[in-house]
Amino acid sequence: MKVLVTAKRVVDPDVKVKLDGSGNLDLSNVEYKLNPFDEYGVEEAVKLKEAGKADEVIVVSVGTSDSQKEIRTALAMGADRGILVEVDEDEDLDPLTIAKLINGVVQREEPQLILLGKLAVDAENNQVGQMLGALTGFGQGTFAYRLDIEDGYAIVGREVDGGTADVKVALPAIVTADLRLNEPRYASLPGIMKAKKKPLDVLTPDDLDVEVDAQVRVVGYELPPERAAGVIVADVDELIEKLRNEAKVIG
Amino acid sequence: MAMNFWSKGPLYNPSEEHAALRESVARWALANLDEQADEHDAVEEFNIGLFRRMAQELGIFGVTVPEEAGGLGMDATAAVIIHEELSRFDPAYTLSYLAHEVLFVNNFFNSSNADQRERYLKKVTDGTWLAGMAMSEPGAGTDVLGMRTTVRPDGDGWRLNGTKQWITNSTLGDVFLVYAKNEDPDGRSLSSFIVESSWEGFSVGRKEAKMGMRQSPTAQLIFDNVYIPRENLLGVEGGALVGMMRNLEIERLTLAAQSVGIAMQATEVMSDYAINERRAFGKPLSAFGQIQRFIGEAYAKTEAARALTYQAAKSTSADTRNSLGAAAAKLVATTTAEEVARNAIQTLGGYGYTREYKMERLLRDAILLSIGGGTNEAMQKNITGDIVRMIRR
Repeated sequence: MKVLVTAKRVVDPDVKVKLDGSGNLDLSNVEYKLNPFDEYGVEEAVKLKEAGKADEVIVVSVGTSDSQKEIRTALAMGADRGILVEVDEDEDLDPLTIAKLINGVVQREEPQLILLGKLAVDAENNQVGQMLGALTGFGQGTFAYRLDIEDGYAIVGREVDGGTADVKVALPAIVTADLRLNEPRYASLPGIMKAKKKPLDVLTPDDLDVEVDAQVRVVGYELPPERAAGVIVADVDELIEKLRNEAKVIG
Repeated sequence: MAMNFWSKGPLYNPSEEHAALRESVARWALANLDEQADEHDAVEEFNIGLFRRMAQELGIFGVTVPEEAGGLGMDATAAVIIHEELSRFDPAYTLSYLAHEVLFVNNFFNSSNADQRERYLKKVTDGTWLAGMAMSEPGAGTDVLGMRTTVRPDGDGWRLNGTKQWITNSTLGDVFLVYAKNEDPDGRSLSSFIVESSWEGFSVGRKEAKMGMRQSPTAQLIFDNVYIPRENLLGVEGGALVGMMRNLEIERLTLAAQSVGIAMQATEVMSDYAINERRAFGKPLSAFGQIQRFIGEAYAKTEAARALTYQAAKSTSADTRNSLGAAAAKLVATTTAEEVARNAIQTLGGYGYTREYKMERLLRDAILLSIGGGTNEAMQKNITGDIVRMIRR
């Protein structure tokens, strides 16, 4: 079984993001990382390979040439080869465009299983996996906290509102990873040194016959309003009084 | 909170692999070292279980050993990165790693033959065996040639007699690289040997009660007529001095890197406390000039020590020697770590003096780094000696 897994380059989620004077993100001194939810996907793919259920794990990223670093991280964790779909830095990319580009790679590589993070921690759109499902026509199991591959099916334990739900999807299938799926390994130094020698192909949107024409554009950034300081109430009576008369949220 | 005010760029991460290594070690250290450091300092016991797990999860053993010999084929800069990132959270744990990886593995590899590598390298790079190195003696520290431990020929091998002092990993170690004199204790002819702790006549003295570096076990090694077979001589008989001097350079660089890690942590702790946590007279502490002097000098001096350490690492390898750079880096970085850790305690006031905050531990640990691997006074002597040799007319 061939597994395709995504690896998006995102701004380190621990960094406090600032805006510059003209209302754009100030990314001058930030670090970038492999999207943590994609990391769960990579770990799951490598575990499937170690369990003998996958033969090959291919990592795909859509981004500038800088995204090679995040592909190498996934290769250091144990994936076999990488594909970068390279786009210009100033290119607008919306979830549908990214899904189309990944679909282009799916058509070329014909994987039986496609693992994605449920969302990327930068824009938190949570759309690419589902859109890829529509484009490929494959079944999907989103928000996976558990994954088993058996007899041509993916059995996906999903986190849903109010609990969990299992779905059984015929392969080829799309699975998006949630944070309880596994505990990702560290890229070890032996893994890092091996990753250096693993193949990494660079493709363009043209190579995949995909026109980059985003329908969603970022028009500006704004910080959320600062929250005013809270108050400590003495007892429940005072709380109810304030909720009724100040906040006016109860009658 | 991630603090992104430290310099970046090719001096610190010369390749993609160095950057990836730093990221992995930093994440691992934050997740694993921070939480156990206080506890293991208190009970004064090395976290050997974590050390073995680190071998599996990070695989940072044999870093400077060439790939074709089964190592990782990286350089002194990679060793500096690892020691800096680990030491930010637990300098004592890192010291035991240093004794294993730098004092034994790197040293052993550079002087060993194919048969010795075959017998020992895998055991010390996969986490099976803990290793160390024995140079200092009760009456000979920086003055290494004053050592009194000797070997005398016996059959096809030697008999080893003497006592080694301040030996890191002594109580738990499986194998040690031991320096000894050839028969004549007043001579200058040194040899080095691989000695296993299971051998007859090998014993460990009382564990030292230390000011800091308490997780890292330190004790005497006592050799009572220990038989060393011929195949455990490292290099040529009487020829150990070159290997010893060569290894002292990367030892001093990695000790400097440990100091840099402490100084970075101390700068971050004092900055966070003064800017985000503590207010006095209606203002954050960072609004006061006296505290600004602590933060400003901590940042500037740590950056300087860090730059010097990485600069010296660039030209340090088994083939390219840089004793001047290593000595300079150790002198500056250890002094900086002590000063910055001390001022972090001052910034935190009473909290800095308690064990609730890690600063008192980091200061206690920092002081060893001005003593071990050659005292700062020895660094001053060595730097001057190197300069005298370079410019004396």
